[in-house]
Amino acid sequence: MSAITLTDVCKSWDDFEALKNINFTCEEGKLLVLLGPSGCGKSTTLRLIAGLESPTSGSIRIGDRDVTNLPPVKRDISMVFQNYALFPHLNVAENILFGLKARKVNKAEQEKRLKDAAGILGLDIFLGRKPAQLSGGQRQRVALGRAIVAHVPVCLMDEPLSNLDAKLRQEMRQEIRSLQQRLGMTMVYVTHDQVEAMTIADKIILMKDGGIEQHGTPAELYNKPATAFTGNFIGNPPMNILKPTKEMLSLCNTMIPDSVRGEKLLIGVRPENIELREEDGCEVTVVATEYLGADTLITCRVKEQTFILSRQGRLVFSDGETIKVGWSLEHTHLFNSADGKRIELQGGGK
Amino acid sequence: MTPPAGLGSSQLEIITMKTVKGIETLGAWILGALWFLPVVFAFWSAFHPAEYSTNFELFAPLTFDNFVRAWGYAPFPRYLLNTFFLVTMILAAQFVLCTLAAYSFARFNFVGKNVLFALVLLQLMIMPEVLLVENYRTISSMGLLDTIPAIGFPYMASAFGIFLLRQSFKTIPNELVEAAQVEGVSAIGILWKVYVPLARSTYIAYGLVSVSYHWNNFLWPLVITQSVNSRPLTVGLAIFGAPESGVDWSIITAATVMTMAPLLIAFILFQRQFVQSFMHSGIK
Amino acid sequence: MPRHYWNHINGWLLVLPAVFMIGLFTHYPIFSTIYHSLFSTGTPTRPSIFTGLENYSYLIEDDIFRKVLMNNIIYSMCTVPLSVAMALGMALLVNRSIVGRSLVRMSFFTPTVLPMIAVANIWLFFYTPEYGLFDQISQFFGGGAHNWLGNPNTVLYCLVVMVIWKEAGFFMVFYLAALQQLSPELHEAGKVEGSSNWYYFRRVTFPLLGPTTLFVTVNAIINSFKLVDHLVIMTKGGPDNASSLLLYYIYENAFSFWDTSYAATLTVVLVLILALVTIIQFAIVERRIHYQ
Repeated sequence: MSAITLTDVCKSWDDFEALKNINFTCEEGKLLVLLGPSGCGKSTTLRLIAGLESPTSGSIRIGDRDVTNLPPVKRDISMVFQNYALFPHLNVAENILFGLKARKVNKAEQEKRLKDAAGILGLDIFLGRKPAQLSGGQRQRVALGRAIVAHVPVCLMDEPLSNLDAKLRQEMRQEIRSLQQRLGMTMVYVTHDQVEAMTIADKIILMKDGGIEQHGTPAELYNKPATAFTGNFIGNPPMNILKPTKEMLSLCNTMIPDSVRGEKLLIGVRPENIELREEDGCEVTVVATEYLGADTLITCRVKEQTFILSRQGRLVFSDGETIKVGWSLEHTHLFNSADGKRIELQGGGK
Repeated sequence: MTPPAGLGSSQLEIITMKTVKGIETLGAWILGALWFLPVVFAFWSAFHPAEYSTNFELFAPLTFDNFVRAWGYAPFPRYLLNTFFLVTMILAAQFVLCTLAAYSFARFNFVGKNVLFALVLLQLMIMPEVLLVENYRTISSMGLLDTIPAIGFPYMASAFGIFLLRQSFKTIPNELVEAAQVEGVSAIGILWKVYVPLARSTYIAYGLVSVSYHWNNFLWPLVITQSVNSRPLTVGLAIFGAPESGVDWSIITAATVMTMAPLLIAFILFQRQFVQSFMHSGIK
Repeated sequence: MPRHYWNHINGWLLVLPAVFMIGLFTHYPIFSTIYHSLFSTGTPTRPSIFTGLENYSYLIEDDIFRKVLMNNIIYSMCTVPLSVAMALGMALLVNRSIVGRSLVRMSFFTPTVLPMIAVANIWLFFYTPEYGLFDQISQFFGGGAHNWLGNPNTVLYCLVVMVIWKEAGFFMVFYLAALQQLSPELHEAGKVEGSSNWYYFRRVTFPLLGPTTLFVTVNAIINSFKLVDHLVIMTKGGPDNASSLLLYYIYENAFSFWDTSYAATLTVVLVLILALVTIIQFAIVERRIHYQ
């Protein structure tokens, strides 16, 4: 009974429209990631769910309750903040138990929940320390502890890993994911990091300029981006978005299906889907080669357009060299250049 | 599908929140009005004939008579000029002395620095007016009694100013200093071209705090001055307004308003800067 | 000369003017006041002679000194907690987004920019028997006339009320500055965790404001010992020394009775009190250094 549903939610400040008509559902026990560049409205959406802001219009439901006008405490949620929001003068145990004490949960129950959470998070030996004496990862765990002891079905996370270094971030995101699954929490997780989103989400909502760009599983976002923006945002290095100039079209003649020839198009192709070919390819000029260890990124140019392709292993080309490349139809994404929307290829076939 | 009961309770929530907020706002206003009342009262009394001092009729006749008469009884223009000189002189001397000392404490490592700094900070606790008996002796032995500089001397090297500027200087990134050094700027050049401009807001904050302190200072000037030539406004007002002087109440308030008006007007005009400056000076 | 030495020389040269002035008007007088307290006050006919601790034994016997010291303690114990509490309350009120916030804040702060002498003049009239504002209000409600400042039982408290009005707004500003430094995220976490406003204030805001409270309290204590301007106008320490404070008593002894040696002796006491306040402050700071 803890699905979260937003219906026609709008939020504006003065004349700034932060959110435009947001509709989605996060199913019970699932992890939903709100993803997008800064200023896209993802944090605002989370704060609306938490009750830290109220929507200008629209309604928010958690489970079977309309919580649109309820204060945060009545929504049965916990929240982990970007900077952890740990009280500097309280020790770890006091920080974790802050909410239980405020709500006057009985002492024995407090102790039990503290012990459980500390065990799960490996915080047992730190309970007496002040936040200033902890490392970034430990602080993050304390913030998680606060969410665990609340024993509420919904947990909201606002960029919880953005203050950690890359290695720790990877560790913690696995920990958060397994915690969410073990406790069966319904979790809404805000991030601007697409790798983070791809690795932990059941569903991703990609946002842009206060609207939803696409809502789907990570695989759907990767394989069938609904817009050129999604294609570019998901995946690293990003999808190449190319203009169908005369040269490009003639070079890649075999790959553009006749059915959409006439329209104003953008062609999208992922770097990892572009192949090097001996024959039957298009001739392009190598501009730069970057060797990353596991794979190599090759920047190529056709006329005034450049794109990147990535291949496993180490490849050596000299700058200015001409090579032949191509990609198969199934890896071609077409977008309408006017609104960036995906154009579905029907049936395929050349 | 929403059960009406649920909707009702959440609306109740909003109403309660709004009520609490309303009560808070009202409380703030009442307290604010109460706090401002004495000032309003002083202005009322200064601009109305004596018989209206405590008789608050909306259409009581306005008059400048009280000011004219106060002006006639005592040399207020002279007092005003003295205060103006005093405040300007103290501020200028403070800026110079405190800047040099703060620069030294912030940037140089020299023998005895920490002890010296602790000794300087002692002045925060034991301010010159506490030691007025001995300071009177010192000024008197210098033959400077009843002069405007004598009022200012004990305050010119201000521990507070040194402390504030040192804090501000310490936040200036070393890179900027090093960049200037690479360009061949001298130590004094670095102070003048890097430190001082970057600490501008601290100078403004300290300046406002200093001016309001010395505009209003009383006990030390009272002790050290003996004549119209050096008396600042506050001392002039005290002599004029002493109960035994027998001057009419309305005239005393007119003089009071004259004394506080320059600072009060500046404060009301630059309210934000004043409050920000005092805030700034309090953050350690 | 190596550069190393220049560092020392430049450092000293730069601090020297300020250190000399502070030494002359703060450190030297502390020693000279102790020195003079060991001598009798000279007159044209009898020069000052060394009397050892005679001034101090007189001080212990001096009823007026004891009364004045007691007055000052009562005065401090009233003005300090009340003005600090008032300041905190005001800061909390105007830290919220209420309508007309900057106007209210301005009004709270206004007394700070007024000279104590002007304030004393205004309040002197408020306390005037029969015609003063307080008596007019009292009479409106059927009460009688009071000689507020003429009554030894009420005079000190009348001054306390006035001083709170004068100082609370000043201290409010420091609380406001501290409140603005608190991360809003903490407050949001408090809301999500279900703490009531009062619980949050008691458990989080007030403890986090601890350093500010200490700073403001120390300042309030120092002011209660060094700010006596209003006595000159309002009561001259009277009636019967009921409103006299230590520094005013020093001033009286030095500049009305011209007993500078006794004034020096009293100054030693005042300096000791301020030193004690400083030591206590440092002790508290030391103890709480372990976080932040």
